[in-house]
Amino acid sequence: MANSHSALAHRPTLIQKLLALPVRHLQQAIGSLGDLWRTPFTTVMTIVVLGISLTLPATLHVFVKNAQAISHQWNSASQITLYLKLSTSDKAAQALVQRVSLYPEVDNVVFISPKQALREFSQSSGFGDALGYLDKNPLPATLLVTPTQRHSQSQAAQELLAKLQKEREVDIGQLDLEWLTRLEAIAHLIEDIVMSVALLLCTSVVLIIGNTIRLQILNQRQTIAVMKLVGATDSFIQRPFLYSGMWYGIFGGLLATVLIWLLVNYLSSAIAKLTEVYQQRFELDALSGNEVGLLLLFAISLGLLGSYISVRRHIKAIEPSAE
Amino acid sequence: MIEFNNVSKTYPGGFLALKQVSFKVGSGEMAFLTGHSGAGKSTLLKLISMMEKPSSGSININGTELANIKYQDIPYVRRGIGMIFQNHNLLMDRTVFDNVALPLVIEGFSAKEIKKRVETALEKVHLLDKVRCFPYMLSGGEQQRVGIARAIVNKPPIILADEPTGNLDPKLSLEIIQLFEDFNAVGVSVLIATHDLGLIARMKYRTLTLKQGNMINDGVVEGLNLGGDHG
Repeated sequence: MANSHSALAHRPTLIQKLLALPVRHLQQAIGSLGDLWRTPFTTVMTIVVLGISLTLPATLHVFVKNAQAISHQWNSASQITLYLKLSTSDKAAQALVQRVSLYPEVDNVVFISPKQALREFSQSSGFGDALGYLDKNPLPATLLVTPTQRHSQSQAAQELLAKLQKEREVDIGQLDLEWLTRLEAIAHLIEDIVMSVALLLCTSVVLIIGNTIRLQILNQRQTIAVMKLVGATDSFIQRPFLYSGMWYGIFGGLLATVLIWLLVNYLSSAIAKLTEVYQQRFELDALSGNEVGLLLLFAISLGLLGSYISVRRHIKAIEPSAE
Repeated sequence: MIEFNNVSKTYPGGFLALKQVSFKVGSGEMAFLTGHSGAGKSTLLKLISMMEKPSSGSININGTELANIKYQDIPYVRRGIGMIFQNHNLLMDRTVFDNVALPLVIEGFSAKEIKKRVETALEKVHLLDKVRCFPYMLSGGEQQRVGIARAIVNKPPIILADEPTGNLDPKLSLEIIQLFEDFNAVGVSVLIATHDLGLIARMKYRTLTLKQGNMINDGVVEGLNLGGDHG
């Protein structure tokens, strides 16, 4: 028997414990990865469920993001048409163009004279000969006003229209507000659906991970009891399970990223063909680097939350027994 | 130091396992605890290791009143008690080294210190050559010795042993008891629960005898009688 042994045995100091803490965390993190490796079927199943559950809302997010990009393009293309009073002289019309151009909400103003309007109408309508019999040009001078990007949304565009209609030369002002409002309402509806689906799927992810961790805890009931007997704190025992939740989150998030990338690539060519039909060029925008980072962070948070709920509930309930 | 003052324990259902038990095992004292099955030995050990709470009375371990201990502080009390179980309570999926190292890992010792202490503890129980084995590869006696090595590895001030020599041959039993004596000699309190009356008679240490939850004898005994045939 060594004489160094005493009732006041050497205990690590606080500094020694703090120094050993990162090493212990690393060991427990790697150890929990090893535990997952030893149960490949359960691990893969949980990761696949987590990956698919995250893929669905994340893919919907990608589509909403792209739909919003398209609708913004349409919005910015929206114009306010101002029909001037027939009595407006060319000089007064040009002065109005100058004034409207100076509006901070206006990006661009195109003036169409009555003559130009008649010429375009006769070319496009096929009534060229009939129009020749008219005594005078019935068409008014027209201003095509393009709002700035900031003022192209329905509410701002409507306010601009009201402001422009106050100009004394303006007879009628037009903006297809209903179309814009409907488009925005549809976009909001889709966003709300995505949020609801995401919420439901994320809840199921938390429950699935929580249940998987619960089964792991029950499988290791005896080990946990022995650890408690030799002085392990609940937080020490909980840590490997929390790391398991973290690993599920990381691998599930990575799987979701790969699945989204595959889906976007698969659909890109079909969307390109569709937009070509409309003489448009549109490329489906996948998840950005930041979005992938956020998805992984979110997946890790879900993994940790699921495992935390489980360990808090079950590890405290396991008590050692001498039998 | 272990001190019981009028401790009673009644289990749900009304079974009275301990009745007004009082005793004190001082620092550096070694004692045996004996009695028939159902006499209350296991309950007494469970109360010391905080696996059970007393129904009444007070228990003081190393100057700490256990009634004042909060749930989150129980592990720190247990770290001061080296426990040896009849069923060994080893982790079957971990090597002998990992089993013995467990209390040190929990306390946050460095890897170097853990290796040194584990090897020293295994050397004391003559199992250094089994360091890489898993418990299922060992005999009952060897598993018992791994449990003993784990109990002593962090040099606790109290050692509780429940039938520590139950699976060992007489020669090894004596060696293990001598090991406890060595610990005792440097100030460790040792309480050994055993049925082995021959061992108790040979060692001539203070013996606490329980019968049906009552402490019927406390002192050094020569020819021990457990108080009749029925526990």
